[in-house]
Amino acid sequence: MHWLAIYLPRLPLEVLASSDDSRSSLAVSERRGSCRRIVLCDEAAVADGIRVGMNTAAARAVSESLCVLERDRGRELSALEGLALWAGGFTSQVSLAPPRGLLLELGGSLRLFGGIRSLLLQIRSGLRGFGYQALLCLAPTPGGALLLAGDGREGVIRDIAGLRRALASLPLHRIPLERGKRDALYGMGLQRLGDLLALPAAGLGRRLGQEFLHYLERILGQAPDPQRLFEPPAWFQRRLELPAEVRSTKALRFAARRLILELSGFLLARQAGTQRLDWLLVYEGGEMYRFRLGLRTPEREPARFQQLLRERLERLELAAPVWEVGLTVRDIQPLTGRPLNLFTAEQEGREAGQHLLERLQARLGGEVVSSIRWVPDHRPERAWRRCAPDEAASGYPPGEGRKEQSPTGRPLWLLAEPVLLEVRNGRPWYGGRLELGAERERIETGWWDGGEVARDYFVAVSHSGERLWIYRELGAGRRWYLHGFF
Amino acid sequence: MSLVNLLQQRGDLWRGADYSPVVQPGMPTGFDFLDQQLVGSGWPRGAVTEILTDDREGRGGLGLVVPSLAALSREARWIVLVGPPLIPYAPGLVARGVDISRLLLLYPRGQQERLWALEQALRSDACSAVLGWLGRVSAGALRRLQLAAAVGKSGGFLFRPVQVAQESSPVALRLRVRPAGEEVELEILKRRGSWPLGGVRISAN
Repeated sequence: MHWLAIYLPRLPLEVLASSDDSRSSLAVSERRGSCRRIVLCDEAAVADGIRVGMNTAAARAVSESLCVLERDRGRELSALEGLALWAGGFTSQVSLAPPRGLLLELGGSLRLFGGIRSLLLQIRSGLRGFGYQALLCLAPTPGGALLLAGDGREGVIRDIAGLRRALASLPLHRIPLERGKRDALYGMGLQRLGDLLALPAAGLGRRLGQEFLHYLERILGQAPDPQRLFEPPAWFQRRLELPAEVRSTKALRFAARRLILELSGFLLARQAGTQRLDWLLVYEGGEMYRFRLGLRTPEREPARFQQLLRERLERLELAAPVWEVGLTVRDIQPLTGRPLNLFTAEQEGREAGQHLLERLQARLGGEVVSSIRWVPDHRPERAWRRCAPDEAASGYPPGEGRKEQSPTGRPLWLLAEPVLLEVRNGRPWYGGRLELGAERERIETGWWDGGEVARDYFVAVSHSGERLWIYRELGAGRRWYLHGFF
Repeated sequence: MSLVNLLQQRGDLWRGADYSPVVQPGMPTGFDFLDQQLVGSGWPRGAVTEILTDDREGRGGLGLVVPSLAALSREARWIVLVGPPLIPYAPGLVARGVDISRLLLLYPRGQQERLWALEQALRSDACSAVLGWLGRVSAGALRRLQLAAAVGKSGGFLFRPVQVAQESSPVALRLRVRPAGEEVELEILKRRGSWPLGGVRISAN
């Protein structure tokens, strides 16, 4: 068994304050019995003389600039669950070890990730992405790994004998024991777990209870220690309360990175990808803003999600400081691993095209990016329409004659609305006299659907030499209009 | 020491004998005369071409590039149009052989977004040609676009009003077009490997 314990010594602080918090010195307090005590503080607070275990009132007296935050175990647990989702990308056997730990059974993953060193490296770099300080210890038993990581002993312990040696030097205060019993052990002159293990088991059982003996057997690998495995939900739905209110999209992007990493692990565990990421921002005061990031093909690469989010956020004005970010992904599609070297040039090109499209749509908005289609309609303004880029069809449908045969041809530019032309001396005028071409094309159609059109089209050359597509109404007005440019 | 050796020590002297341009084949313009005038016998690839027109919108230059767009639209890459001033008319483009399913039309709001979109499209190797309609823009922004085009190896075309002709430009090729009925009058204001060229007429169709 290869149990990796991930211990997050600063988690209570990390869920409450961002790493670049400007507040001078920070401490986390929690109510214990009748008074509040400091459970964790940062370096600045330590330098001011604050110590873990201090009464909060006393701590405030020691340091005026101290900022005391109230511990939020709910957020800590939520952070652990998020990490467990992410860790699903490495192994299917993940177990929460609250309040500050996570356990991963890596025996089945070693080969896939290229051995223990390489796997630990990948886990470490992932944890850095979350911004958590983490201690990692790998050992044959989950309990042993967690104890050692909690004591700050990082490393890889491969066998039971090595584990026993490492645990022997563990100070007794790391062992979960009632205070009275621990004090009794100190009273007997015992300091370390090794001192305890050297005593006869029968006597220990009488003093500390059978339950504790079983615990020792489990951490030493003498008895099985089944873990309750974390079960990922059917779809991804996470909300992240931000440690400090976020006022810039850049900071928001940074905060959202955790959710993206969690999502990628969640998807990897299922060999899946997604095309739809639904984001939620909760503003100060509770107002919510939702937006969706769409992808052309299923993806799970965190870097791709991150990039799309960046493009999208760049055109977002934050209406108010953001308190909370949420991400929901229900669209989960199978995505098998693709060996990179099997890409053909064409596939690569198509992928580059898709990626460009996604980036443009994310930043500019879907409606800003389009293509055009030809529509079989004789009315010029209805002979085309805007369409989604992937909906575009090439050229004419089969069986249709080429429009080139039309007497006036078709211009390259069409005006959204025809422009009424001035008439001077009975001739149309556009900044100067227009020379009408010899060809006339009559378009008279559409009476059946109300969009009736009756016009004579001409090509005209303007005084500046430009060729224009103009028409004259056949109806009552007989007015001239400019409709396009060649 | 001979004079030749002395001269060779000077870094600021350009020696004609060293001149061996590595010419990337261009994209045929569809106009034989124009191809002959251009390095690489066509529109420069991996570079930006500026086309200046008398109309302020920059609509007048599209006809000049449409023949090469027709050829490029056979590739499985996008032809991107950023901020066209009017509706690019599908029947007209189809009639000139352009596969319009390869067209990507972008209408970004504001100059900054337009420049961003142009740069993204030029930089990505997913585009064969990138067309942009820009008014006044800084030389720095043009240089960025020129660099982006070099990365993506696509052909960039910027359509701008002739009023900017006085401003210097870092782009590879700069033309001025003037419609003249069935023909267009061309002036090459700047090109690589040769001198500017004034007033020639080529058929517009």
